[in-house]
Amino acid sequence: MKPELAARMVGGLKEAGISFVSYLPETRLSQILPLMREDPSFMVVPVANESEAVSIAAGASLGGRPAAVYMEGSGVYVGSYNLLVLGKRLGTPMLLLVAYYGSILDKRNTFLYAFPGIHLIPILESLDIQYEVFKDDDSLEDKIKGAVKMMHAIKQPVALLFTGAFTE
Amino acid sequence: MNRYECFESLAPLIKDQLVVGSLSGQRVEWGSMSQHEGNLLVAAMGAALGVGIGLSLVLPKRKVIALESDGSLLLSLYNLPTLGNLNPPNLAVFVFDNEVYSGTRISEPSATAGKTDLAGVARSCGIEHATTVRDLESFKREAAKALEENVLRFVVCKVDQTTGHRQIQRPNEDLWEHKYRFVRYLERTEGKEIFKGRG
Repeated sequence: MKPELAARMVGGLKEAGISFVSYLPETRLSQILPLMREDPSFMVVPVANESEAVSIAAGASLGGRPAAVYMEGSGVYVGSYNLLVLGKRLGTPMLLLVAYYGSILDKRNTFLYAFPGIHLIPILESLDIQYEVFKDDDSLEDKIKGAVKMMHAIKQPVALLFTGAFTE
Repeated sequence: MNRYECFESLAPLIKDQLVVGSLSGQRVEWGSMSQHEGNLLVAAMGAALGVGIGLSLVLPKRKVIALESDGSLLLSLYNLPTLGNLNPPNLAVFVFDNEVYSGTRISEPSATAGKTDLAGVARSCGIEHATTVRDLESFKREAAKALEENVLRFVVCKVDQTTGHRQIQRPNEDLWEHKYRFVRYLERTEGKEIFKGRG
């Protein structure tokens, strides 16, 4: 992803009020990490497993810091149990920032990624998690702000899937 | 030593601390013993410690207590390296290790009935103050330290397998009601808005 796009993404998160990010690093969106770490308004927490990222974000969210979980698409599979019991059943607002690997517009797609990518949206839909797919920078900040408003309104996770220009 | 008597000695120590619990009989026992508004019993295996870590990070002036079990912790061992590295001084973790998966009808041994030493795992993950207690007096001593000192403590409590929780009536407060009670308590005592959605 171009540096300007990473900066806009992080700026959009900040403007929308996100102040806590737990994450397991991945390749496609990784330019956002140093930007968030350099900004004291974000508390950025590295973890060992996306399920853990979800549970830590849930605690942060219920403790008063609007939280996001940054992960690769595979993290939705790994984190699905905690997304269900903490995100849906307990009802905890959190934003999922997902590198939508294996999607048609994923510029790094290979046979390694395509199958998990194909099943990602059905997984989110089976969990009844609202999502938005980002292919380019069109209305980026407005969409992030709308997603954060949605997560607060329904007190559940909302997912943003980044592909296309975000995967360059 | 059994879990219930540990809870009986822990409950009077709870003032404004936050208590995060997982599943198993401990949810039922602690929930029946303590109606503290700072209780957040997430009712899921493998989730309480992570939630406790998140709370401790964003509320650094508040003592957070995570009540875990051997089965729940074994399901989420990935928390321990993260916990060791983050080292939140305001978090105390109690793992009630009865060495079994104990449901309403089952009692199957967990890995701690074999060779697994959870305090040893925790220490190897960098959690310096990780210890195992096997009697009530030791538990009381560790609990007092864990609540008073501003240092991460991880206490594995070897407890007997008991079935007392099966006779305790389950709560009729559902998880959303429970969560709202907790969050409104935090909003009141922390003086800040947590749930931001407004009608």
